[in-house]
Amino acid sequence: MALRRYTRSVDGTIPVQALLYDDEELVAVQDSVGIYDGSQKSPEHQSGTIHLSTHRLFYIDSQQEATQSFALDLAYVTQTDHYGGLFSSSPKATLYLTAPSSSDNLGLGTITTAVPAFESWECEVCAYRNPPGLSPSAARICSLCGVPRSAVPAPEPRATSLPSSPPVSGTTTPVSHDPTMSIACPACTFLNHPSLSVCEICSTPLPRVKHSSERSFSAKSAPASRPRSPDDETVPRMIKISFRKGGDKAFYSALKRSLKGKAWENNERGTPSERHATTRSGINGILRVVESSAQNRENDLQDSLQDLEALMNKAKEMVRLAADLNEKLTASASSGPSASPLNTSINSDSSALVPVTEPEEATFIRSSLAQLGLQMANTPVTLDMMKDDRKWFDELARELAGILQGSSRSGNGSTGTGLLGERGILPLDEVWGGWNRARGVALIPPSTFLQVIPLLSSYTDPPIRRRTFASGLSVLHTPPFTDAAFAARLSGLLALSGPKTTIEVAQEEKMAVGLATEMIDAVEQGGYICRDDAQAKISGSSGGGAELRWWANIFEGYSWDGQSDISQA
Amino acid sequence: MSVAAHTTPSGYLLPSIHSAPPFFTKQINPTTRSIADDHWARIILGYARHRRLFTLRVEDAETSGNDWDEIFRNERINRRLLPDHLASLISSMVTNNLAVYEPPKQTRSVLLYWRRPEEWADVLHSWVASTGQMNTIMTFYEITDPPVESPLSSLPIVILRKAIDVLSKSGRAQIIAIADGEGVRFFPGGSKI
Repeated sequence: MALRRYTRSVDGTIPVQALLYDDEELVAVQDSVGIYDGSQKSPEHQSGTIHLSTHRLFYIDSQQEATQSFALDLAYVTQTDHYGGLFSSSPKATLYLTAPSSSDNLGLGTITTAVPAFESWECEVCAYRNPPGLSPSAARICSLCGVPRSAVPAPEPRATSLPSSPPVSGTTTPVSHDPTMSIACPACTFLNHPSLSVCEICSTPLPRVKHSSERSFSAKSAPASRPRSPDDETVPRMIKISFRKGGDKAFYSALKRSLKGKAWENNERGTPSERHATTRSGINGILRVVESSAQNRENDLQDSLQDLEALMNKAKEMVRLAADLNEKLTASASSGPSASPLNTSINSDSSALVPVTEPEEATFIRSSLAQLGLQMANTPVTLDMMKDDRKWFDELARELAGILQGSSRSGNGSTGTGLLGERGILPLDEVWGGWNRARGVALIPPSTFLQVIPLLSSYTDPPIRRRTFASGLSVLHTPPFTDAAFAARLSGLLALSGPKTTIEVAQEEKMAVGLATEMIDAVEQGGYICRDDAQAKISGSSGGGAELRWWANIFEGYSWDGQSDISQA
Repeated sequence: MSVAAHTTPSGYLLPSIHSAPPFFTKQINPTTRSIADDHWARIILGYARHRRLFTLRVEDAETSGNDWDEIFRNERINRRLLPDHLASLISSMVTNNLAVYEPPKQTRSVLLYWRRPEEWADVLHSWVASTGQMNTIMTFYEITDPPVESPLSSLPIVILRKAIDVLSKSGRAQIIAIADGEGVRFFPGGSKI
């Protein structure tokens, strides 16, 4: 009976951590425990795990965790007992329960209104919207300004109740505050909210006339109207936890600590929190809360960044390990003849080198490495592989060449088209992004990238060079995209098929319009073409984007065929 | 596109380049642009001589229906000269001493030098000689608005003054103040045409 009366069933399939209130902490865990309801064994709760938090006890059944698990509020525990065990009898902890008579309603209210406790509410003093998820006691005061919530939700969802609606008697536990009950400050006469302990204006301690009645949260509530079951008085209200596999001592002491801590109680009460309460109320308190929450957030952020850094370090080790492993495999499998003198990762394409007679284990390891994305063929060149900078840049250029042109990289001529693909020209930023995406780890900074580019032409066939346009845009291009070659091609195109717009040229050349614009501008600078702006139209320039057509340079080599100047004496 | 030369209704022969749309766009490339500007200057001056026009204003490209329509608009290719393009043409002509801002200290209108002041001086002197008015005092009005049509008819006073300046420097003319303004007396001699 005690069990059913004081506990609330929980869904044990949810991890206990997720069931906790925001201000609740898990303290101890013990598995292989059984529960006694009163002095008898509770048959449904004989094998499970017990979790102790600062607020509650959770029993998670090991067989039927969804239905047989429960939680017990430590607030009901008045007394505990420890039994050390004897022969076949396991050690036990006994919890004597009581529904605190004065706050019976509070307790039951907490149980029945468990769901409303999880909704967010707005403080009527500071208008702070309190998040859900706090324990019932903590949810009773505003977490920003520390003023108690005026109307604790009634058992039925209080979606429509006004914040200032008078407290309903019964299971509600109001802190009544008629406006007339405001406490006048003895120093400045400011009428303070009854729940404040110091004046909001001048910080003078307030006379606490109403305090004693406030303390018991049932000042106005009606006497318990709920009919009590007749066996209430006769059955000893206790449950026992039987520790089948030990761990009882540690658990018991943790339990004692939790009980002593009384974390479920509103921490506005109690001796040490008197001072705490004063700092929590008023503007000062609000500022402090905001400050400390910002501090917490910063700490969290720093922690997570450190975690990330640690993870990066681990990943680096992992990569090194994979590299070592693969090297060993390659060394043992290929007895040397096919190994190229350059033992760098670029051209030692492992799959090409390893003969088919590779032992099964080696294949397995290699395939798992490949699954992890740690294949040696993908391993980028990093500085620590190289002896000196010169060699490092050379290797980088080789790698970049492979990425751009594709073919040199994919060993036995597989159909890997590089980043350049069918295009002959690529903006530098796209190349840089694509390269780093291909590397995956150990990314290349732009400065290194720029140093590598001059070396690129000696590793590519046809040579890839860099070109910077007047606008500052830099590209990598193959020979057909040098200024002269492009100008010749463009003039030919214009001569052959008449004037073209930039977009038409871009289509013809299969390049981005922006890029085509740059190229054409460069050709115009060279004087090979001239422009015809549709703005100069007499009619029909219908406002839209001024169309610009490119013409072969008609001015070049033009000889005057107009009226002769000497016609008139 | 028609690339042939074209004769305007007034009888001026426009070059074939005037029928190419890019000619009406201000080119960006400096070399190309200077070529185009030269051609424009030649067309403008040739047309001005043809029609005996002396002033050119930027506004002439802004509106239609004025003296310059025939060269500033080409209906056959649906192109016209934009005012800011004309303004830059004018400034390049002034730089090349083919025109002068009139009135000075603005850049919206110019006097066109389809004859240079020295040439005008020669024209003036030979006209005076041919009409037998040497050594007589003439007013400016008598020169620019003679009863018989002359090469100097409707010549702007500004150009006339410059031409007389050229002549007086070589001793062939003299400005004389007369009762109601200025007069000029021409002398034979000096270099003959």
